[in-house]
Amino acid sequence: MNIQDIRVCVLRIEGTNCEEEAYNAFKLLGADPEKVHLKQLTGDCPPSMRRDLDDYQILMFPGGFSAGDYVRAGAIFAARIKSRLAPDVENFVSSGRPVLGICNGFQILVELGLLPSFDEILSEEPQAALYTNDSGRFECRPTYLKHENHGKCVFTSQLPRGEVVLFPSAHAEGNLRFPTDREMEIVRRLEENDQIVFRYVDADGNYAGYPWCPSGTVANIGGICNPEGNVLGLMPHPERVMFRYQHPDWTRDQDPNAPGDGRVIFSSALEYVSRRY
Amino acid sequence: MVKADIRIELKHGVADPEGENTRKALELLGFKGIKSVKTVKLFEVEMDAEPEEAKEAAEEMCRRLLANPVIQTFRVDLK
Amino acid sequence: MDMAELTRKRDLPFPLYEVDIFSASDRDLMNISASMGLNLSLDEMHEVRKYFDAKGRLPTDIELQSIAQAWSEHCCYKSSKVILREHIFTIKHPDVLAKGDAGVMVFDDEYAYALRVESHNHPSAIEPYGGAATGIGGIVRDILAMGAQPVALVDPLFFGPLDLKETPPGVKLPKYLVRGVVSGIRDYGNRIGIPTVAGGVFFDPSYTGNCLVNVGCVGFMRRDRLLNNAVKGVGDVLILAGGRTGRDGIHGVNFASAELTETSEEESRGSVQLGDPITKEPLIHACLEVNERGLISGIKDLGGGGLSCVVGEISLAGGCGADVELDRVPLKEEGLAPWEIWVSESQERMMLATPEENVDAVLEVFALWDVTATVIGRVVSDQRVRITYDGELIYELDLDFLTKGPEYCRPWAPPSSASKESFLAPNLPEDVNAIILSTLADPNIASKEWMVLQYDHEVRASTVVKPLQGKTGFRGPGDGVVIKPLMDSYRGLAIAIGVNPWFTSQDPYNGGRSSVDEMCRNIAAVGGRPHSLTDCMNFGNPEKPERLYEFREAVRGVGEMARAMNLAVPSGNVSFYNETALGPTLPTPTCMGVGIVEDIRKCVTTDLKRAQNPVYLIGETKDEMGASILYRRYGGKGGKVPEVDATALSRNIDTVLAAGQAGMLRSCHDCADGGLAITLAEMCIGGDLGLQLDISGMGDLSFETKLFSESNSRFVVEVDAVKRSDFERLAKDAIYLGVVDQDKRMVIRDGHRKVDLKVAAMRKAWSDTLWRLV
Repeated sequence: MNIQDIRVCVLRIEGTNCEEEAYNAFKLLGADPEKVHLKQLTGDCPPSMRRDLDDYQILMFPGGFSAGDYVRAGAIFAARIKSRLAPDVENFVSSGRPVLGICNGFQILVELGLLPSFDEILSEEPQAALYTNDSGRFECRPTYLKHENHGKCVFTSQLPRGEVVLFPSAHAEGNLRFPTDREMEIVRRLEENDQIVFRYVDADGNYAGYPWCPSGTVANIGGICNPEGNVLGLMPHPERVMFRYQHPDWTRDQDPNAPGDGRVIFSSALEYVSRRY
Repeated sequence: MVKADIRIELKHGVADPEGENTRKALELLGFKGIKSVKTVKLFEVEMDAEPEEAKEAAEEMCRRLLANPVIQTFRVDLK
Repeated sequence: MDMAELTRKRDLPFPLYEVDIFSASDRDLMNISASMGLNLSLDEMHEVRKYFDAKGRLPTDIELQSIAQAWSEHCCYKSSKVILREHIFTIKHPDVLAKGDAGVMVFDDEYAYALRVESHNHPSAIEPYGGAATGIGGIVRDILAMGAQPVALVDPLFFGPLDLKETPPGVKLPKYLVRGVVSGIRDYGNRIGIPTVAGGVFFDPSYTGNCLVNVGCVGFMRRDRLLNNAVKGVGDVLILAGGRTGRDGIHGVNFASAELTETSEEESRGSVQLGDPITKEPLIHACLEVNERGLISGIKDLGGGGLSCVVGEISLAGGCGADVELDRVPLKEEGLAPWEIWVSESQERMMLATPEENVDAVLEVFALWDVTATVIGRVVSDQRVRITYDGELIYELDLDFLTKGPEYCRPWAPPSSASKESFLAPNLPEDVNAIILSTLADPNIASKEWMVLQYDHEVRASTVVKPLQGKTGFRGPGDGVVIKPLMDSYRGLAIAIGVNPWFTSQDPYNGGRSSVDEMCRNIAAVGGRPHSLTDCMNFGNPEKPERLYEFREAVRGVGEMARAMNLAVPSGNVSFYNETALGPTLPTPTCMGVGIVEDIRKCVTTDLKRAQNPVYLIGETKDEMGASILYRRYGGKGGKVPEVDATALSRNIDTVLAAGQAGMLRSCHDCADGGLAITLAEMCIGGDLGLQLDISGMGDLSFETKLFSESNSRFVVEVDAVKRSDFERLAKDAIYLGVVDQDKRMVIRDGHRKVDLKVAAMRKAWSDTLWRLV
């Protein structure tokens, strides 16, 4: 499949607010993204605006505060999908097509049960929570992430393992948690399944606490994928660093024209789709 | 008509930064002797239903949206 | 007579009263004004009586309320207009495309940007979280009303001292206010997805009873999508879109037009509106989409005065009037009287004027976003507004009478010479190192990281120069930020604030001028050519001659500088009555500026980059220590406030921009609060590098004056070592100070005197204050 024919569904509802830069990220790399309101997939709209999830090759949940993040971050968006579109989404994921959730999108994937997705594609109940940062505050700061995936995740195939990238973080609920009594057991399971994609590190690439890890998340985890590797959720924002001049420190001896660290996430997924279909 | 009070609490052992920050703010307003502040979410749902049905529906609401079992517990009280 | 005798309820199934202003004595009139919350003066009440006398009928309550809204200081600028006309309104600039709810300026041949700043002071002093949040909501609507996509928020804030432990009755602790205001900005700005990129926070005891919350916004649009806040003509239908209307925010404009008192809190709760960002966010999408598709004639934001102001203004701007069916307005709760619906300032509402044939298409867009939109009236050719409620005519006013409003030429007078402070030298410690460390930790200088990191300053991914600058993990303060609004162009918008309340208090004229100077410096320091400014003038009670004098002088200073620097002033805001029983706040002329960056890849930040690069000071340092932070901290009084030589400022900006364009500059920081010493310290902090300097070349001034004078129009630049001779040819007057040093110490020599500080110590002093106090 040619990259320009790859259709990307950038899904949004009220309060989704990073759809513009998510759209631009795919557009920049030559794909064919579209901003789609959830009501266009569920059919609560004039017929001309109706869309079918099956017509897309990539599904993307951008950041923001969907439905105000009321109840819990991402919970309302997830519940609306689950009640109306669960079979479509399950079909999309089981067909191997990539699904990406950034920030609020990651929260939606977790609430929806698409991540960590241990035993079934879409778990009945959430198996994890993205909970309030230890600081209790919204944290907007540059964060370094170490790529830890052994090759399963389709969004990082072009990024060597062990490489450190800078993606900015901007969230108040990025603290990944599992049931307290089994937390480390589940982290081990994620490791065994090769589901851990990114961990927060300091500028030298070492695991570090706050503020390098802005949320206090379990085992410094910033992003995970499903066991098949085609669903990725991460808190930091690769779509905000598509160019070097978007990096926080580009004026320090860096070529502003160079690509930004975030590009690899989108180009890996597009390459995967173009090879597979 | 039945009113269901749905109370969502953090599970024991889950930190509560919002409660902690609220405690600080209350102290700034001059309240003394506060030991702890816990955040609890309360939803009041009014329903046209028999009490049995209403309770079941409210619990289903918790499972499908209002509570995340990883960090939260819920309790339904009918009024 | 008491009120009951002067009012008569019409026999209708809803509350509507006629008010007998004909038989009212002067005392009764003032009674009516007070008990109805009109806040109209006796002269104004007489004007009203004259109008209805000519009409031969009594006014209804909704008519009186409507007039009170339209004639409030907040809506009609009755005390400031005369002064603004003389100094600001007459400034002409070829790049101004529109002056409406916001000013609109040329960006390039195809695109434009919009800008405005306004105050949300009194609501924030009563309810900081909601007050600040709705301030953001309001300014975003002003930008949206021009058809522009909001792209950046800017919030300069002014509070009492953070360590204050007790406050008088009715006044909240500054610390509580700071936390509330910052949370309000954070939760609203972050939720609607507009980056909060700049602002600043200022502390002074005068702000204790009356904090100032100024909110600014910059928008961006295609020039052919520019909307005026006007109907096109007869045939247009009025659609009210967004939030429902409730009792929140009734009499907000009257509240903003009086001094705060001890009982303001109880009396004014209803004046503070509640914000709902998750109605606003889709409202932005929907309004921009109907504009993009060319479905609407005009759009206007419902701010102060609610429907009562917007209907008249949007109709009259198109040379028309309107008929309104008020019972069609969607309500939050039952039982609102018609006048309450008409003047409510409920948030998140926009008024759209739409040709009849496009109504269905417009409503469809709003329906997709689940945003309520309702046809509430239509445009008519007569310039008057008529309202019916359940078919009953309850309101009919001529727009000429309603919107003209009174205009005052109030008396003003300089303060008596006795109240001017005589000179008193500050009591300075011998150890300059100690002064620098302690000044770095002053809340007015210290890092604002605590706030900046709570605001999403990068959403939309176009913030290419960020508010904190430097090595990741070591970042220092920036002067301005840069937004890159287009994917396929490197042209950018530099955004910055300039304001110095202390200068303005001691010398209002030079304070106004200095605020513009600082704003221009901040824009130029990142590589922008200053292009436009919008001002928010926060002053005391204009009915007091000395307060009005301060306002007048500051406006004169701002206006003169705008002319001298060829800056457009396409929008602005005045906030009077920032005054409590404790006294007035410092006069505060907040200037928000926008500059054009030709190529964002040439932008420069404040952090030092590389050892051995030479460092220069551009601009002249004078013995101008009056109102400086050094004097304020160490008991200095009086003294000369920095003046501005606009020619020198222009020349220095030209030098900085030319050097930046030619790639000579590696870092650049304007010299502002705390003077040269603090400027250099901040450059070290962000770059995590040291300096080896000798400042004896700065002329015949004392060491302290060289280090701490806050003379205007100055920049410190770090020049790429290989371009040193090019730079010296370009900037002949620049004073060479020394070099960047690998050793992380700031060493500044002047004869036998010396500063020698570790960068780590300076960073600690600068970084900890706000975290500790908040």
